[in-house]
Amino acid sequence: MLLSDFLQFALNGLVTGCFYALTALGLSLVFGLMNIVNFAHGALFVLGGMLASVATERLGLPLWAAIPAVLAIMWGLGVVIEAGLLARMRDAHILPVTLVTIGLSVFLVNTMLMLFGTEPKNVKTGLEGAPIFLGDVIISQSRILAIGVSVVAIIATWLLISHTRAGRAMRAVFQQPEAAALAGIPIARIHSFTFALGTTLAGLAGILLGAVFVVDPSRAEPAAVKAFVVIILGGIGSLPGAVLGGLLLGLAESLWGGFVSTGYMDAVGFVLVIAILLFRPSGLLGAPASRVG
Amino acid sequence: MLNLRRLLAGLALLGATGATAVAQPQPVRIGLIEPQTGPVAFDGTSVIRGARLAAEEINKAGGVLGRPLELVIADGACRPADSVAAAERLITAEKVSVLMGAFCSGATQAVMPIAERNRLPLVTGVSSLPTLTEAGNRWFFRNAETDAMIAAAFAHGLVEQTKAKTVAFLAVNDDWGRGTVASFRGVFDKMNVTTSVSEFFDHSASDFYTPLTRLRSARPDLIIVVAETQAAATLVKQARELRIPSRIFGVGAWTTPTFLNLVGPAANGLLAGVAYTAAAPGDRNAAFVRDFRAMHNEDPGKYSASGYTTMNIIAQAIQRAGSTDAAAIQAALEQTDFTGPTGNLRFDNKHQIYGLQLYVVEIGNGRAEVRGTATLERND
Amino acid sequence: MTENRIVLLLLALAAVLPAFVGDQYVMHLLIMTFFYAMLSTSLNLIVGYVGELSLGHAAFLGLGAYTSAVLSTEAGLPFWLCLPAAGIVAGTAALAVGAITLRLEGHFFVLISLAFAEVLRYVVMNSVELLRGPLGYPNIPAPSLSFGGTVLADFASKAHFYYLGLALLAATLYAAWRFARSSFGLGALAVRENRRLARAVGIDPFRHALVAFVAGGVLAGIAGSFYAHYLTFVGPEVLGFSFTLSALMMVVIGGRGTLLGPLLGAAVVGITLELLRSVNEARLSIFGILLVLAVMFLPDGLVSLRWRRRPEPAEESPTEALDSPLRS
Repeated sequence: MLLSDFLQFALNGLVTGCFYALTALGLSLVFGLMNIVNFAHGALFVLGGMLASVATERLGLPLWAAIPAVLAIMWGLGVVIEAGLLARMRDAHILPVTLVTIGLSVFLVNTMLMLFGTEPKNVKTGLEGAPIFLGDVIISQSRILAIGVSVVAIIATWLLISHTRAGRAMRAVFQQPEAAALAGIPIARIHSFTFALGTTLAGLAGILLGAVFVVDPSRAEPAAVKAFVVIILGGIGSLPGAVLGGLLLGLAESLWGGFVSTGYMDAVGFVLVIAILLFRPSGLLGAPASRVG
Repeated sequence: MLNLRRLLAGLALLGATGATAVAQPQPVRIGLIEPQTGPVAFDGTSVIRGARLAAEEINKAGGVLGRPLELVIADGACRPADSVAAAERLITAEKVSVLMGAFCSGATQAVMPIAERNRLPLVTGVSSLPTLTEAGNRWFFRNAETDAMIAAAFAHGLVEQTKAKTVAFLAVNDDWGRGTVASFRGVFDKMNVTTSVSEFFDHSASDFYTPLTRLRSARPDLIIVVAETQAAATLVKQARELRIPSRIFGVGAWTTPTFLNLVGPAANGLLAGVAYTAAAPGDRNAAFVRDFRAMHNEDPGKYSASGYTTMNIIAQAIQRAGSTDAAAIQAALEQTDFTGPTGNLRFDNKHQIYGLQLYVVEIGNGRAEVRGTATLERND
Repeated sequence: MTENRIVLLLLALAAVLPAFVGDQYVMHLLIMTFFYAMLSTSLNLIVGYVGELSLGHAAFLGLGAYTSAVLSTEAGLPFWLCLPAAGIVAGTAALAVGAITLRLEGHFFVLISLAFAEVLRYVVMNSVELLRGPLGYPNIPAPSLSFGGTVLADFASKAHFYYLGLALLAATLYAAWRFARSSFGLGALAVRENRRLARAVGIDPFRHALVAFVAGGVLAGIAGSFYAHYLTFVGPEVLGFSFTLSALMMVVIGGRGTLLGPLLGAAVVGITLELLRSVNEARLSIFGILLVLAVMFLPDGLVSLRWRRRPEPAEESPTEALDSPLRS
């Protein structure tokens, strides 16, 4: 096997890894902080891509204008879902809450099928130009864009959570809800903010999916499942973990597919999950998690 | 006298129109089991579009047995359990006379015993697993080429034309992908053409850089790709991005407008083996393409054409049978002789279609052009 | 009327129903309802009694279905041997998976259970030589019941499957009921309600959870065997996530941790999906909305309409096991 092949596999893995990281980031926030197993994450992810496709293909907006417009819609939708459904179930058992997100996902996926049809769709990037050669290794312009946007989004999210007042309030609310309430932090608003952020990140990942690949409603479930794998790998509730888990999964899949067999490529993540959890149940960067009591 | 006659004629006419107004003829119901949700929803919907056009045309021309056709559509989601439920409902609750479906071979296999048990004809326009027509189920008919037939029709010519010494396969990991690869390999092995790589990917895969990178360093002369619209479009674009020099031959719905639109200029130079293309020659196809465009505002693809011809075959069989009696329709289906956009179609003793036109097309300037044709020969 | 009596009454009603229902489609729906009731009852042992959210339940269903498919088509074994074999294979797998995963904290259990099921699905998808991969097993023979050379039932008609399904469902419910009343069931409940207290009185949470997990696996495997012989076709989709989701939906809508709940859930979900067929394309969208509303207004399921459980706090404690590490 040539060195250039190895480098190409590694680069491919990094690109998919960026996708996985971005998709998992929003899910990890909602799962780790709000304790919600959000099965609608995949549907929201597809919705972002669908809206961006409508904006660029049908309305003819350039990508730089379409992205903020779609993200604004996704943010609004996140606020509405949180206020309408999740806020009312804040003290409920994990099972009914999970079921609500499953119901939401069923509704979103099938409504998208009705509204947008079954055809797979592209998001127009205007980057149809020649791919770039780094020696024998090739990368397309839209992939470079996807990596760039992912990196920016990941850094922005990290800054938001670790360096702003909103982010500090978020961490406080989910680590010490009673103390946070006593300190006068508006709990309801923080929940709303967190879920909207998760939804927006899902939407952004969906836009990039449509820009590099194609997007259609049948991607929702596999995307959600993959994102769950990533956050287990990285450690639940750990944002650097989600990023690391995503990159690791992308690389592992690509190298496995490249050197062994593509038939099992999508099983790699699950095998990794099982292996990691057997030896390090808290994930790569998570807190220790053997059961108390 | 004259007045009286006119009066009588007028009365008769009145009576006739009155009678039709009172006793609307009962529609003849045809049950369609196609995936409307799930990973092949797009292709399933295409089948339904073709069938709708056929039904509308037939009804405009007076229907069958003087009764209109009514399509009863059920979502089988390409899954056996859903398709079986759909079949049970269509047969018992909707009282359909004929079943059409169920797209994926696995789903069709699960529906076949139900058709047999209920003694109702089942016609598939898509399911391509060769063994389906080997099971000896006399209620089952297939208006589609099998994996093996595509290979038999194209493998030789492909090797001769492209002078390929080595080939690689990239196929979706389901019965269709596995079956097609096995059939092609069988022919290639006999011709001493080496298969360097054969890789399978998931229905939901969207990144093909990894298998494509393997192909790039394997440097086969020819790559055979078996994929549906979604995967095929992404795969071809990525193969071009990676500058893979090998010729690509596609099996699947590779000439549909959705595919060409998604792939754009990257599609130029592709070869595809298809059982239908809108660019196929002939007046019947031209008329079909024109009518399909008028109804759905796009060119028909493989699945729409199969929906269209299957519905026509069913309607003609009912007409020939002279009633909606299932046994009579089954016997009439065996006598099928339908000339439509996909050729002159007849069933052999195993109820496998023959006479179907197969095309090798090359895509250039965003349009499919026919480079070669083959006719599916009787083979039983 | 107690819950048990209602279950018995429903089963008795179901036993005489075929005398009044001749429609083959309704019979098919009822047979599938029995199947889903079995599947959700088996899941309920884990979700309802142990309080663990298992997302990999389809693995046990699929193992049962494949065991039956392979043994009957390749080895020619009769249904009556395939059925217990399916239960044993699925139960053994549950023992292995449970022994490893049930020690993990709630969140991790949720996802690792899913991981096991998905790995199994990919293995089957790619084992073309051994398990026919995506081609699946068609023409799985129907059971037949004969005594001393005379065929008593050949299962050519739906009525035979109907009574077979009903009998298996009754057996499943009986097993679940016995489990719930056994020291293991009571122990599992105690663990669900208050883990620390249960431990303090000498209940080993892991052991109780494992027994429930294995029992759930065996019952799911048996349901899978029934599915295989009724539908005559088994492919990798039986290992898919959608079966787990359906069963989960039924358990929660009916009422988790009760005997009647999964039964009601299977019937109500089945009937709703059937009634919604009239709205065609909007069917699943409307179903999604109904699902959300049902869960929001009846988080403890339909059974809570009649049997209000003890005051709320007791209901909430299971969340403790599933809480995020960040919260504790």
